[in-house]
Amino acid sequence: MRDLFTGNFGIDPLTGQTILSEILFYLPNTLELALFSFIIIIIVGVALGYLAGMHFSTFRDSVARVTYLVSWSTPMYLAAIVAILLFADYIPIFPSGGMYSLSITPPPTVTGVFLVDALIALNLPAFVSGVQHLILPALALAFVNFGLISRAVRSSILNVRWSTYVKTARAKGLTESEVRRRHILRNALVDATTLSAVIFGWVLTSTLVVEELFAWPGLGQFAYQAIFSNDYPVLIPIVVVFTLGVIVANFVADVAYSILDPRIGMGAHGEVT
Amino acid sequence: MVKSLKFRQLVLSNRLSSFGLVIVIISVSLAAAFAIFGGHITPYDPFALNLQDSNLPPSFSHVFGTDFQGRDVFSRVIAALPIDLGLPIAIVLLSSVLGIFLGMTAGYVGGLVDEVIMRITDLFLAFPTIIMVLAVAATLGPGLVNAMLAFVFVWWPPYVRLVRGGVLEVAAEDFIAISKALNSSFSHIILKGILPNIMPSVLTYATLDVGTALLEVSILGFLGIGIPPNTPELGVMVGSISYGLYTYPWQALFPAFVTMLLVIGFSFLGEGVREASDVKVRPYILFKGRAFEEVAEATTRVVAEH
Repeated sequence: MRDLFTGNFGIDPLTGQTILSEILFYLPNTLELALFSFIIIIIVGVALGYLAGMHFSTFRDSVARVTYLVSWSTPMYLAAIVAILLFADYIPIFPSGGMYSLSITPPPTVTGVFLVDALIALNLPAFVSGVQHLILPALALAFVNFGLISRAVRSSILNVRWSTYVKTARAKGLTESEVRRRHILRNALVDATTLSAVIFGWVLTSTLVVEELFAWPGLGQFAYQAIFSNDYPVLIPIVVVFTLGVIVANFVADVAYSILDPRIGMGAHGEVT
Repeated sequence: MVKSLKFRQLVLSNRLSSFGLVIVIISVSLAAAFAIFGGHITPYDPFALNLQDSNLPPSFSHVFGTDFQGRDVFSRVIAALPIDLGLPIAIVLLSSVLGIFLGMTAGYVGGLVDEVIMRITDLFLAFPTIIMVLAVAATLGPGLVNAMLAFVFVWWPPYVRLVRGGVLEVAAEDFIAISKALNSSFSHIILKGILPNIMPSVLTYATLDVGTALLEVSILGFLGIGIPPNTPELGVMVGSISYGLYTYPWQALFPAFVTMLLVIGFSFLGEGVREASDVKVRPYILFKGRAFEEVAEATTRVVAEH
């Protein structure tokens, strides 16, 4: 039990290296991919949900709804395959796999995150190559996962749009853009924050498929190999790490929630909420 | 009965949900037809090897092309429907039954029982679904029943939460207290008083959930874990391509698009049902297309009548 908390997971029976060192090698790559696509998801998701909610029951609303429903209904592998076929094969503007070109000398490992390492070493070609390799898998990940955020933002906008306090805000004489920004959008963001933890968990687990198809050397691919070779000593720590990721995301979301919603306190001021 | 009629009208008046309903009905009847008649309704035998015709591109004789063993992809897609619809529906059905049972117990009995059930539920919710499914399925070994069990193992917690919340809300209503005072039997209160009130929200969630379960089942097939290889399953069909993706893309693309279409059917249907049952939004659907003055005038008339 103590080994679990000290990170002593033992030795990988297949490679002979310690499992911790393997996880620490793969984890930063997965985090880089997941965080990058998470940012895309939040921006696109909130924008689309806001658009749909503010234009409820119009043509724009229908288009936005169909977009996010299709996004949410797309299997991860379809998004990845179409991305590869379209942008790596048919119009070859992005590389189809890997994390950087083989012709690049990789920067020395400092943080383990390739892009950050490249920046630290001021290795511009490596950085550019890293970004090029990152865009396609991140977009594929984002396309499949932004639907839920849009849907939540839209429905919470619908919940507050006609509420009395928005009417009050208008009656106070606030300008329309102020009402929308401070009273409608802010409220919608509160719901989106809680959900974003769930989304981050999904993005983390979706890396399983994406990393396999894009040959991205991350934790998802490592997990896939472990499952496929029945390597349980490795699989259990991976499940622990993924679960920890989800729990940390939930914690961050809770903190952000208390900042955004003044009614929820952290209990620091002795208030019971 | 008046209420349910309105509900049905709302679902059908919503273009999204009627589109979804059409997809669901067509795919379910195709799946049923294949389950009954087998290879007689498909243009080719979905299982027979025919190495002469392997890797043919889509044409009039093979609408979706053929795979690396010469089997017609279109026939295999139809053969996959009973599995790809049956497995998610079974998963959702079993999970919701388990969730209703545990959620009702937790919500209605309360106290220590509630505490224990909910903490266990929270524990299961913390695990990332697909990773857990993969781990359990890999442990149980390949097989459709094993895959289903692996899914049910992680799929039930949201239902417990949903049902418990609903039960707590309904149990606080006056009619339940009165029913208790009238000495109604426990099962009478549960079956006639509480269950009908929580079923709509469970059904709405379950409709959307079938789509999600379908996605995850096909991902399991794609990764080649749990579902036996060579099973006509959409994810397995996509996964078997990984090395010939650039040369024979149709072998992966068609099954993948069919998966998307099936999930879209359930999502659209579920989304429409959800919106139709949303009290806050319903007035705006009903009044859509009516001028503001018209609604205001009708409102004053209704108020005057009372």
